[in-house]
Amino acid sequence: METFVQVLIDGLLSGMVYALVAAGLCLIWGVMDVINFAHGEYLMVSMYVSYWLGFLANVDPLVSIIASGVFIFIIGVLTYKLIIKYTIGRPGLVALLATFGLAMFLKNVCMNRFSPNFLILSNTWLGDKTFHAGNLIFPIPQLVAGILALVVVGLVYALVSATRFGWAVQATAMDREAAELMGINTERVYVLIFGLGGACVGIAGGIMPSYLAVHPEVGSMFGLIAFVCVAMGGFGSIPGAFLAGLLVGVVEALAGFYTAPVFKYIAVFGLYLAVVSLRPKGIFGW
Amino acid sequence: MFYRPPRLTYLFICFTVFCLLVGFGAATTYAQTSTKVIKIGTIFPLTGPVATAGQRCQAAVQTAVDIINNKYTDIKVPLANKEGILGGHKIVLVHADSQGKPDVGKSEAERLFNQEGVWAIIGAYNSSVSKPASLVAERMKKIFMCGASSSAALTQRDMKYFFRMAPTDETESIEFVDVLKWLNKKKNANIKTLGIIYENSEFGKHAAEEAKKAAAAGGFKVVADVPFSPGATNLNSEVQTLKKNNPDALFGAVLGADYSLMIRTMKQMAWLPKIAISYCSGYQDPVITKQLGGDADYFMGSTAYSPQFASLMPAVGAVEKIFKTKTNGVPFDGDSIQEAVAMFVLAQAIEKAGSLDPEKVAATLYANTWDSPLSLGGKVAFAKGGQNIKAQSIVTQLQGGEYKRIYPEDMSDTQIVFPMKPWNKR
Repeated sequence: METFVQVLIDGLLSGMVYALVAAGLCLIWGVMDVINFAHGEYLMVSMYVSYWLGFLANVDPLVSIIASGVFIFIIGVLTYKLIIKYTIGRPGLVALLATFGLAMFLKNVCMNRFSPNFLILSNTWLGDKTFHAGNLIFPIPQLVAGILALVVVGLVYALVSATRFGWAVQATAMDREAAELMGINTERVYVLIFGLGGACVGIAGGIMPSYLAVHPEVGSMFGLIAFVCVAMGGFGSIPGAFLAGLLVGVVEALAGFYTAPVFKYIAVFGLYLAVVSLRPKGIFGW
Repeated sequence: MFYRPPRLTYLFICFTVFCLLVGFGAATTYAQTSTKVIKIGTIFPLTGPVATAGQRCQAAVQTAVDIINNKYTDIKVPLANKEGILGGHKIVLVHADSQGKPDVGKSEAERLFNQEGVWAIIGAYNSSVSKPASLVAERMKKIFMCGASSSAALTQRDMKYFFRMAPTDETESIEFVDVLKWLNKKKNANIKTLGIIYENSEFGKHAAEEAKKAAAAGGFKVVADVPFSPGATNLNSEVQTLKKNNPDALFGAVLGADYSLMIRTMKQMAWLPKIAISYCSGYQDPVITKQLGGDADYFMGSTAYSPQFASLMPAVGAVEKIFKTKTNGVPFDGDSIQEAVAMFVLAQAIEKAGSLDPEKVAATLYANTWDSPLSLGGKVAFAKGGQNIKAQSIVTQLQGGEYKRIYPEDMSDTQIVFPMKPWNKR
């Protein structure tokens, strides 16, 4: 039983981070109907921001999350202004291919500037610290990342569901033309949503160098899992993406431990296939 | 309004550009022919999860070519004291990136032979890439020199044009089991059970198979068999599985970033076996070792070279000096040095054969024992199938960030720290 609880804790902690990464993607996808293929690379870039701040200026990742969040917010805004803006109103494939190009661009820029070496930030505040409750082990960096995920996803949800800006976002997501007729500046909504989506993943990436090596490929798997969470949770549903993130984390951990570790991603993607087959709009989709 | 040139102008511009490209291509070919060049292709993972190792392998081949093409009187390796081979031929490298993917490696091998016209290929680091890429070479009757890929299956295919420098995971598995037996005998270690963690790839799966065979032959019971997908976001369930089964010894085939993730997860889960030995993996990567700091200590692995072996291989120092200029000061490791050996041995064979007929050179490679000051044993010789039967490695242990020689005993320079120091006592 103890082992089961331990595996469950590991799964939930991983799942919360997946949820935070997925929340940003969910915002962009849900409001703008744009699949941001560079989402995993946003994560990778934010990890580099956090790493270099730690390495060069001795800033801990726990503080760097602000800088990495702001940096990726700006990258998100620039992505919209320079790329996505010109794909709106065209077939969805255009934006998808454009962001795929952006993903390759970001990955190769980092490869070129920072080399493919794995960069590990040592002596961080959270480091490899653990919290023991009886025989149960809570890795502190993942625990803090999980709490951060809860807070950020909660704030984003509150912003979208209970503020004037959020209502404007919802209106824009439902019908852009009608929203414009009501006086909503939809262009501004799009810019801010892309920035906000980036900021979410930027914050997730900012904390990760506390426990994960940074390298140009690090975002690929997280990006893929974020897609799975958003599709499973329901396009545009932040609570859906959050729950799907937790579900993915738990399924991954339990399947990995109780069947075989190599089976964990088979279970995750198998679950994804089952959900989208039975409910193509996702668990919370409409 | 922009000025739009008429269609004929467009055609003229296109034609001019085409002529310039073709013209320059022809000029390049002519220039290369006139200076007598031998084109050698390299295939390494220059991008992807093991790119850092791939880039060092490429730098090692470049270092070897630099020495072969120019005269270095202070470097004591074959062909260093004259310029070029075969009466002044210079070697020109054409590089390709496999991304660590077998299909990409195979198509790059085809491109190198068919479009670039390379005479032979050196590569490909990942066993899973070396396998299909070398099949392309074999089909075309061209030589494929393999430095570091360790899957024993590569030299069990009876191929005529494939040659591999590194020890195989079969010989390494036997050596690792010998270490366990030695510890049981010398240190009364009471090691009975074994866990294996490996990436789910050609390299990892084959290493695990060989580990199981060697363990069975040595009387050790495998209690945890843990494959994982490379590039995973976490290794929690993998390490939990190991912790649950708690093997006395752990064999690992874990590359790159996954290796550092494994070590950190083991630390978080407060688990260590009595002894952990790695095949060619993140353990041998000096950059990862440095980044992990004290956490990397007391892990063990097979090592064909580390700067601490200087007294055993005195010729390496001068070569390493050139290598470091290409890697921002990172020294050779056990994998990259094997790729340099591959280039030197191939060049010696061409020189000795006195011909660029691949069949003659392959026969020469088989028929001779080659001087190789960059190899642990100092010699290279090939058995049927292309395995270097003189390949050696030493089992080392990281102590204070340095690779200390532990086994075989007659080559050791330090006492083993056994069992591994627990995380909370470091």
